[in-house]
Amino acid sequence: MVSCEKDPDMDKLDNEYLVFTSHDTSTKFSDFSTYYIPDSILVIGDKKDPEYWKDENAQTLINTFVTKMNAAGYTRISEKEDADLGLQVSYVASTYYFQGYYNDGPWWGYYPGYWYPGYWGGNWGGGWYYPYPITYSYSTGSLLADMVNLKNAPEGQKEKLTVVWNAYISGLLGGSSNLNVNRATTAINQAFTQSPYLKK
Amino acid sequence: MKTIKYFTLRLMAVAAIAIAFALPAKAQVTPFTYFNVDWQFNAPISNNFANKASGWGMNFEGGYYVLPDLSIGAFINYHTNNEYISRQTLPISNSAALTTDQQHSVFQLPFGFATHYRFSDGACQPYIGLKLGANYTKMSSDFYIYEVKDNTWGFYVSPEIGMNIYPWTNSIGFHLAAFYSYSTNKGTVFNYDMDKLNNFGFRVGVAF
Repeated sequence: MVSCEKDPDMDKLDNEYLVFTSHDTSTKFSDFSTYYIPDSILVIGDKKDPEYWKDENAQTLINTFVTKMNAAGYTRISEKEDADLGLQVSYVASTYYFQGYYNDGPWWGYYPGYWYPGYWGGNWGGGWYYPYPITYSYSTGSLLADMVNLKNAPEGQKEKLTVVWNAYISGLLGGSSNLNVNRATTAINQAFTQSPYLKK
Repeated sequence: MKTIKYFTLRLMAVAAIAIAFALPAKAQVTPFTYFNVDWQFNAPISNNFANKASGWGMNFEGGYYVLPDLSIGAFINYHTNNEYISRQTLPISNSAALTTDQQHSVFQLPFGFATHYRFSDGACQPYIGLKLGANYTKMSSDFYIYEVKDNTWGFYVSPEIGMNIYPWTNSIGFHLAAFYSYSTNKGTVFNYDMDKLNNFGFRVGVAF
């Protein structure tokens, strides 16, 4: 009888991107001053070697993150080893590597080319630590942004690098897997709008 | 036949039908039972989740007349009400937020005991009825490729007035009814709380 339910008309949904943000409630963002963001976006694809998105569209998206972080009171610096916060941005072009993994995150850590804690210059042998649940599943055409705490990050083989904020932006259904840069820019702005705790 | 005082306006409304068809004394296929299969229109009364009325539902019921005018039987019906919710930022927890638009749905599946008291056993059989039972209701939000839902159960009660009309002997007839329903279901999706369900509506279908 449950099959007698009428499915809702999904064509009525608008075409703007879904924006999901999470943060560590015990982190005092006012303790941080500087941040580093790479000049390229990691592409999670179907090749086991990572690819990096660096073209004009990628720069538009990265610059949107920069604008919002600066407006929140942080200063971008050019040396990642000296930064309080690291912001890594990835784009899911293919979910090939995630077949068979569970539908909750952080599934993206299984991609062979994903950012690794050592990228940030320290030794965090324990991997990542998300202090909050990640409840969305992977989908093609998604933009992921993770903000890591580099300032208060004890190092060691068993130490983990803490993700203090992340944003998941998605909305492409079928069709082209190319991100719509204008909609993505709007969504990045929304991610910061719904994260007022980031403001120093 | 009962005296005319029981029919009043209802009799006037079906008088044209009664005249058009020669009305035999007893017209049901099986005189001591009734069965209805109806299309249902349902309007929620402020369930705080999906308040748009719709015609996406059906009702199935049947009864046996244990007394000449009193039947006991069973029913099951289902109905879906949807409502589009425009884009907003939803607090998911104290650490997470989600911005999206949504399609809300309330799918109700009540079933249980049904009783009719009819005022005539002739070709036109107006009645008052009561349904009592359980109500499975799913409240769900659909957005992008996701669905967040809450499956709920509650107690269900629904009074109704209606009429079974049998224009032809030993043949199929028609059914009309108006109903109100109340159930105790409670559910939560995101920051939407649904506490008890009140609906009203009508049914049109066949009787045999």
